Amino acid sequence: MDQGVVDLSRLQFALTALYHFQFVPLTLGMTFLLAAMETVYVITGKPIYKEMTQFWGKLFGINFAIGVATGLTMEFEFGTNWSMYSHFMGDVFGAPLAIEGMMAFFLESTFVGLMFFGWNRLSRGGHLAVTYLVALGSNLSALWILVANGFMQDPVGATFNPDTMRMEFTDFAALVFSDDAQAKFVHTTIAGFVTGAMFVMGISAYYMLRRQHREFAARSFRMAALFGVISSLAVVTLGDALGRLDYLVQPTKLAAMEGIWHTTTPPAAPWTAFAIPDDVAQKNYAEINIPFVLGPLVAHSFSTAIPGIIDLEQKARVNTVRGIKAVMALHQYSEDKDPAALATFKQYEQDMGYGFLAQRYAPDQDLSKLTADNTPAVLDRAARDTIPNVFVEFWGFRMMVACGFAFVLVFAFGAYFSLRNEIEKHPWLLRASMWAIPLPIIACEYGWIVAENGRQPWTVYGWLPTYMSASSHSVGYMIFSLIGFVLLYSLFIAAELYLMFKFARLGPTDHAAPKPLEGGGPLTFSRPGYADKSWQ
Amino acid sequence: MELYAILKLVWAGLLGVLLIGLGVMMGMDMGVGTLLRFVGRNDGERRTALNIIGPHWEGNQVWFILGGGAIFAAFPTLYATSFSTFYVVMILLLFSMIMRPVAFEYRSKVPGNAWRETWDWAFLISGALPMIIYGAAFGNVLQGVGFHFDWTAQYHQDESFIWYLLNPFAILCGLLSLALSIQQGGAMLMIRGVEPIYGRARTYASAAGLVAAVLFVLGGVWIQFIKGFVFTGKVDPSMPSTPLGGPAVARQAGAWMDNFHAIPILWVLPILGVVSMVLASISLRANRPALGWWLGALSWIGTIGTAGVAMFPFLMPSTTNPAQSLTVWNATSSAYTLGCMVILAGIFVPIILCYTAWCFSVMRGKVRVEDVVHDDHSY
Amino acid sequence: MTRLLQIAALAVVLVFALLFAVVAGDYAPWYFAWMVGTVMIILIAAAGAVLFETQEAGRADGRDPSF
Repeated sequence: MDQGVVDLSRLQFALTALYHFQFVPLTLGMTFLLAAMETVYVITGKPIYKEMTQFWGKLFGINFAIGVATGLTMEFEFGTNWSMYSHFMGDVFGAPLAIEGMMAFFLESTFVGLMFFGWNRLSRGGHLAVTYLVALGSNLSALWILVANGFMQDPVGATFNPDTMRMEFTDFAALVFSDDAQAKFVHTTIAGFVTGAMFVMGISAYYMLRRQHREFAARSFRMAALFGVISSLAVVTLGDALGRLDYLVQPTKLAAMEGIWHTTTPPAAPWTAFAIPDDVAQKNYAEINIPFVLGPLVAHSFSTAIPGIIDLEQKARVNTVRGIKAVMALHQYSEDKDPAALATFKQYEQDMGYGFLAQRYAPDQDLSKLTADNTPAVLDRAARDTIPNVFVEFWGFRMMVACGFAFVLVFAFGAYFSLRNEIEKHPWLLRASMWAIPLPIIACEYGWIVAENGRQPWTVYGWLPTYMSASSHSVGYMIFSLIGFVLLYSLFIAAELYLMFKFARLGPTDHAAPKPLEGGGPLTFSRPGYADKSWQ
Repeated sequence: MELYAILKLVWAGLLGVLLIGLGVMMGMDMGVGTLLRFVGRNDGERRTALNIIGPHWEGNQVWFILGGGAIFAAFPTLYATSFSTFYVVMILLLFSMIMRPVAFEYRSKVPGNAWRETWDWAFLISGALPMIIYGAAFGNVLQGVGFHFDWTAQYHQDESFIWYLLNPFAILCGLLSLALSIQQGGAMLMIRGVEPIYGRARTYASAAGLVAAVLFVLGGVWIQFIKGFVFTGKVDPSMPSTPLGGPAVARQAGAWMDNFHAIPILWVLPILGVVSMVLASISLRANRPALGWWLGALSWIGTIGTAGVAMFPFLMPSTTNPAQSLTVWNATSSAYTLGCMVILAGIFVPIILCYTAWCFSVMRGKVRVEDVVHDDHSY
Repeated sequence: MTRLLQIAALAVVLVFALLFAVVAGDYAPWYFAWMVGTVMIILIAAAGAVLFETQEAGRADGRDPSF
């Protein structure tokens, strides 16, 4: 495999996934927030809540379109750029993606049309049901995507089949109910709730600061603040649960996140609040440590030692020796179906992935060319590979956590002052809410980076290395697609932000009354200012 | 026949259903996108055309996504190999597809000729190009594709992408698919549109039906001279799903006709295709757009059914190493996955069809220019 | 008689919900938490809005606007 192509494929996937993930959290949260607003409309019958649902629904629509568009890329990119991965894991990984389409995306997309267009064609209750179905559909989408992702983090419910050279599905329930999928689903969707709540609260704060749309803004602020305060607490709780899971199933990710180079000595093991980790020298500079915190934080225990990176590397070296035997036996079995080779493979099967890791550094990427002389160097490099980039993990994690706690504070103050109806007396909080609008999205992006960079060097943890997973394209192909994505996506984000700011600034007032159209006749391009406000 | 072989057959059938659903539902929206600049001569008319499919395009597009997901789940090796082999073409398809949702949502939100004109061009590209590529993919697969696998089942490409874009048979298939989509989209514009959109759509759609019929017959003649693929070794339908170490395969001119010679009843499919295209064209002319729409759907069944039956059991034959061709027998998931997915599809596909039909019935009725420009929620 | 049937139906729903909670709590604790939590988040946000209306009405009547 050409390493340049692998790196470009990774770059493209990271860019498209991070880009897509700017819009997803807002969709996840806004749909339920819209449903809550419409619920109040149906209960109280006050038209202002319908207006709120429609205005925030319009902003939601601007975001939703681009989320759907960029989601298309994700569904197809596994096939276009990760063919070996798709072949090797498709038997397990494809199923949740297909179920997502059948169970969730169809639901969401079919009803979102009715949600926008059906106001005059459905009863109040009917439309409310449609809004809830859209919310449920978008969150079920997240469920199946995260079930698929859970398999990449913690591959349960599947075994390797040497006859078909791939992982095969054995236990549907184990996959769906895997701890990682469960915790990640809740963490991610609730992070979406936080994003949606911050969006509504921030824009409402903007109106309050300008003393515009006050009736509208006060109600929106109240609902968003209450929605957000519980969500932000839940996100922090789930973040803790995920950290513990990483400790249990992905020790390399956890060690990198916390910058632990040497296995800790309980109970005094310190939690490192600040450090500058150096991946090459394998040590931290400028550490600020808080003793006695790490054990209870990560393992929920004072007596457990947390394995450090240097020890994990030594362990990986042993795995790699066994893995090389597994891969060589597998290669032989694939050629002559020799039962003895199969028996050897079965003996070392659990370490096969490490053998593939070593294959990258073998002469000509051929393990049979390993000799006593070159083996130690190959083992060292493969073992070093098993550790993700510590600097990125350490700081990505800390940025995300810092954002999370900041949200709890902002929402808590917002909810408190809103409940006392004195929110307009605290412009500092309004300003903080407004400037905090993009922060949840940034925190979500950090979350993705921590989760997926921390999984490296694997696409499926412990089984398939990333370098093997990519399609065997030429560099030219990759440059073509990368340039295309960058150009298109830049245009999209420019259009999105333009419309979002335009409509958010415009606010809801001139939204309600239907506008008469000059003449009412067919419009032509030649008339300047045609259908001036008809986009409302 | 063993259970595994039956499951593989069931999924080959479901793959066909999905591809037909994709052609009918997404093709309809694509046709509207392609026709947008031609049926709408001013802004109000164009917005009306967009709002005719406005409430439904999002749901229809999921057929495309589900198509990708289902191929991934049921035919992972096919998904991996075809999407990567056709890389440049697939990326072009993606680029054009991702413009569409954005174009729908953003076009009418800003007044201004330049803004809306730009998005109208985006509709044309994102309507026509995906349909051409969709058809061309069938055209390429029918001729065989240059790829082989190494021992880890990683594919290697043996051909340039330029061939996939520029070979004449693929272009013919692409135009056929484009014509079918225009027919379908035109029928929908007639069902929910009024004059002048109605009349223009009628002209384009009925012409497209006839063009499609001619292209389909032309393709049928052409296929006699194309080298098809045929098994020469012993085939075990329950074989483990791997492209490595399968039975021998030979290439012969006209081999794609073998299934029709062996089972003459299969001729129903191509005949259904041509007859429906012509009848659809006639009924659109006769101002029966709903009938024309359903006949358009039958045209898709005939067309994709014909291609599928001709190739069966091949899915994506290899010209450079025919023994590693991907077939219904060697490119599927494990029996467990296929079984799970059959059960889930059996539950969810009928539900999807029910609520899709309900949405269409809620939003039924004519869309008029004055309604669109007065409505707060329209595109 | 109708009242009795209603109570019986409610009891069945209650038993079913409890069974579901027990099973879900064992096999899918976080999924279950999500369902309960999301419903709670929506209800609290909605309750906040209803409270707002009550406060507004109270203010209109000249009573203490804060709670």
